[in-house]
Amino acid sequence: MNTTRRDLFKFVGGSVVGALFTPAPWRLITDSALWSENWPGIPRPARGEIRTKFTNCALCPAGCAVRARLVGDQPVALMGVSGHPLSHGTLCPFGLTAHHLPYLPTRLKQGPAKEAAEAVSAAIAKCGPSEQAAVLDLRPGRTASWTYRRAMASVKHGLYLAPPSPLGGSAAFDLQEAKTVLSFGAPLLDGWGTPGNVIAARENFRLIQAEPLESRTASLADLWLPIRPGSEEALAQAIANVLANREPVAPFAALTGLTEQQITSVAEELAHNGPALVLDGGQTPAAMELNRQLGSLGRTIVARRETPVPESWKKAAPVTNLASVPDGSIRVLLIDESAVDGYLSWSTIARKLVRDNPLVVTFAWSRQGYGRYAQFVLPTAVYPEVFDDIPPAIDSVAAAFRIAAPLVAPPAGMVNPSEFIAGLAGLPAADALRQRADAIHKAGRGTLFTYAGAKSAALRDVKPDNFWKALNEGGCWLDAVDEKRRELPILPDTEAPGATESSDEDLPLVAITCETRAAAAPLSPLMSKLYQESNLRLAANHAVLNPVTARACGVAEGARAILQTRCGSAQIEISLDSGVPPGVVKVAAGAGMIDLCGASTPAKVVAA
Amino acid sequence: MTSEKKPGKTARYGMTIDVDRCNGCGACMVACAVENNVPPAHEGATDRKGITWIRVFQVDNGEDYPNRRSAFVPVLCQQCGKDAPCVSVCPQQAVEVDPATGIVGQMPERCLGCRYCMVACPYHARYFNWWDPAWPAGMEKTLNPDVAPRMRGVVEKCNFCHGRWHAAKQLAAANGRAIEAVDYVPACVEACPTRAIQFGDLNRPESAPAQAAKNGASFRLLETIGTEPKIYYRSKKNWVRQISSAPKLGLGKESSRG
Amino acid sequence: MKHRGKIVFLAGVLVALGAGWLGFPRAIYQSRPQPVNFSHKVHADKAGSKCEDCHAFREDGTFADIPSLDKCAGCHAAAMGSTVAEKNFIDRYVTPQREPPWASYARQPENVYFSHITHVKLAQVKCERCHGGEGSTDTLRPYQQDRISGYSRDVWRDMKMDDCVACHRQHGLEHSCLDCHK
Repeated sequence: MNTTRRDLFKFVGGSVVGALFTPAPWRLITDSALWSENWPGIPRPARGEIRTKFTNCALCPAGCAVRARLVGDQPVALMGVSGHPLSHGTLCPFGLTAHHLPYLPTRLKQGPAKEAAEAVSAAIAKCGPSEQAAVLDLRPGRTASWTYRRAMASVKHGLYLAPPSPLGGSAAFDLQEAKTVLSFGAPLLDGWGTPGNVIAARENFRLIQAEPLESRTASLADLWLPIRPGSEEALAQAIANVLANREPVAPFAALTGLTEQQITSVAEELAHNGPALVLDGGQTPAAMELNRQLGSLGRTIVARRETPVPESWKKAAPVTNLASVPDGSIRVLLIDESAVDGYLSWSTIARKLVRDNPLVVTFAWSRQGYGRYAQFVLPTAVYPEVFDDIPPAIDSVAAAFRIAAPLVAPPAGMVNPSEFIAGLAGLPAADALRQRADAIHKAGRGTLFTYAGAKSAALRDVKPDNFWKALNEGGCWLDAVDEKRRELPILPDTEAPGATESSDEDLPLVAITCETRAAAAPLSPLMSKLYQESNLRLAANHAVLNPVTARACGVAEGARAILQTRCGSAQIEISLDSGVPPGVVKVAAGAGMIDLCGASTPAKVVAA
Repeated sequence: MTSEKKPGKTARYGMTIDVDRCNGCGACMVACAVENNVPPAHEGATDRKGITWIRVFQVDNGEDYPNRRSAFVPVLCQQCGKDAPCVSVCPQQAVEVDPATGIVGQMPERCLGCRYCMVACPYHARYFNWWDPAWPAGMEKTLNPDVAPRMRGVVEKCNFCHGRWHAAKQLAAANGRAIEAVDYVPACVEACPTRAIQFGDLNRPESAPAQAAKNGASFRLLETIGTEPKIYYRSKKNWVRQISSAPKLGLGKESSRG
Repeated sequence: MKHRGKIVFLAGVLVALGAGWLGFPRAIYQSRPQPVNFSHKVHADKAGSKCEDCHAFREDGTFADIPSLDKCAGCHAAAMGSTVAEKNFIDRYVTPQREPPWASYARQPENVYFSHITHVKLAQVKCERCHGGEGSTDTLRPYQQDRISGYSRDVWRDMKMDDCVACHRQHGLEHSCLDCHK
């Protein structure tokens, strides 16, 4: 009996028919559908106990209070702490996504710490008599800053540098007191000071925003004065003259593009609806002069006591303004980029370095900042891994002390900048935060606000150990404000910014950077929701032009073009918007774009 | 899958959004993505192919500089109260209105990916997963366990943070009671720094959206098409109010996402 | 052989039926033993434990699932009896402080938000209603996992969505998919 092909087919046919009456084929269909719901392309969230921890955000000097939701030990969401006296329960989009920062693909994982330390010591030994070894601290006033100052006091040729700051750290803007605020382009409602504090005060003051572009702040201001780029000082001068009943007003008004009538009414409002406050990006002498004229000093600009420090720390190097250092005098520069308030363009730093072979070491989470120019980039922990304090923001009337206590442990191989720099001077740095907390406790002033129950207690009633524990579990010390002693603040001498080169033939446009907040700090990949998946915020290397300007430059919507300034050039992608003033290029600030443009600069756009 | 014999109280969750308070910071957008496990943009994603359950649009009065005035309008699923267009067009019954909460729900497991609902939605509030959800290495540890990540090829949208609703219901049960409308707020509401977005039950007269519904300065998007959305916007500016009824909806580019 | 063709065909049908009904249901599952030979019965009888003594709720209403090693080590820091299972458990897990890799029979798929407390506390559903007699068994049966979908066999047997829906429907608690799905 031979098996034929026909038998085989019959058998197979029979099995197919039989299989249809079994669960197998149907189950396979269901199973593959279920498999597709769980295939390896989809990550599975870990399950576990939900816990809550508190800390303070270290991304910017606002230091907003943070309530973290954790699964086991892993933070999965960050939110504000309602009832907080400074941040009022708010977090900005950067802070809301900060728990992603430890996993950034561009993050540095290791760096040559030992080689860098040797190179620094060798270079310090080689310093000439007029040359210096400096630490540039981009967030002065921290406990780490005191460590740097102490270290620099005992290192030969040591110098401690801080970026120019509007009020010099010993004064604050009191928005709660202000009735009328005139802002020369300060991003008041877009990340200025402590956002929660500004929003809480917002209902009580009238906001007049003088700015060439309709920024977020301008669109929410009570009055937007669309002035010509670079005419802030002229406007301030015109208002000052109106206030003092002086002439002239008209020529200044002409420079700003506003009418005399507009300027007069602003001046009258400032004078009659006080207390007034005049703000600008860098507190230029013109703005400060207006504040003096309006009697803001002591009312809306007030002195702020310093957060106490241990007596033994007082033997420290003085704070030197970066701008006042002679050019070409720094041989060794250590930059602490682990806590950044604002990105300074590299050219303002580079000119201070010696010509031949300066040594630049930077402490940073990535190579994207000053690491592009440094010989050594040493990797640092990022928030929420850092253990650092956050100095009070410019709108905090009371001194404050709060710690960014780590929510997750930093990976191995990270360098702690304050330990590194203290090591150069042979200082111990490990315990500095605790020592400072004890010094604050010893002074005994002010209150401790704890986040778990949103409770306030007088510091006198708290034991030192409990104070330290509270600070580590999310707490904030706030100094007492003596209302009767609203002293006149001592303000640093501000220099007029270098006169902007006006109307160059070869650079007919003005580039204005916006979104500066994004340039300084690491960004969660989820910020793509704002920069890439919507056009809510202008993405890096994008520029917006008025259609008229674009036509003159020969570029169209979506085109690639080259932006040229005195400092170099960069490729940009063009979009058009008739809301941008003619002659202006609005660019998004990445670190590279700030190096290129600063806050604003003459520029030119050519088709690529 | 709805039941007629429903005991207990029913809620009609809704929102009120004060456009005059919104400063366009985007906190709601990222807080939403964190809460609902929405992945960061794929390399090729644009404003058309990205996923933003809530999206803040910058709208303007149409004038040129210097008369240009802008406002920010957060747009999320409007949770249509009547004849939700996405429900009736779905061939899979993957979209349904929960009679207990009034939330328009989307079931990714049932979704075919035909995107008919995206065409039907007058608010462009539905989003398609063009790519598998992917996070940078290690970042998947930060996912919210209360929300399941969706697979490639399905549509998703705002469901008023249903994971939070589940957690609130569970917490209420731990206290021996059923969930009430005041027990939770969606992530965007909690994250909004200016308190421009408020959430509540339209069935309770004291809730913010119920108050807003009575307020003359309130408006809803595309009211004339009769979908009875449960998101009430508010603005003192005339031109902002007008934009809500314009066919352009102020969304800038007419969307052909998906 | 007039009917030869039919016989071959029927043989095919029979083989397929046999494979589909007898072989396939076994082949589709992958079986693995639990890490510890745990007896619910001993704990219930000798230690007088109730289900919720170990399978507890946390304060926020979440269910703590299979207890972690700390809970076990609370009593079993040293051997309490003389069984091999206990000795093995202490040697392998308690002393080195390693969590036993328990496999959860009833672990729900990722897209399900199952809340124990709403069922147990609000609706007064007994544990046995869904978990059967698991709480009085003397040994842990092997964990069986679907080779393709990865789901536990128990989810397939009596915890399918249809089973949930049937009970919800009976109690008039069937509102929408998002009642249970996340």
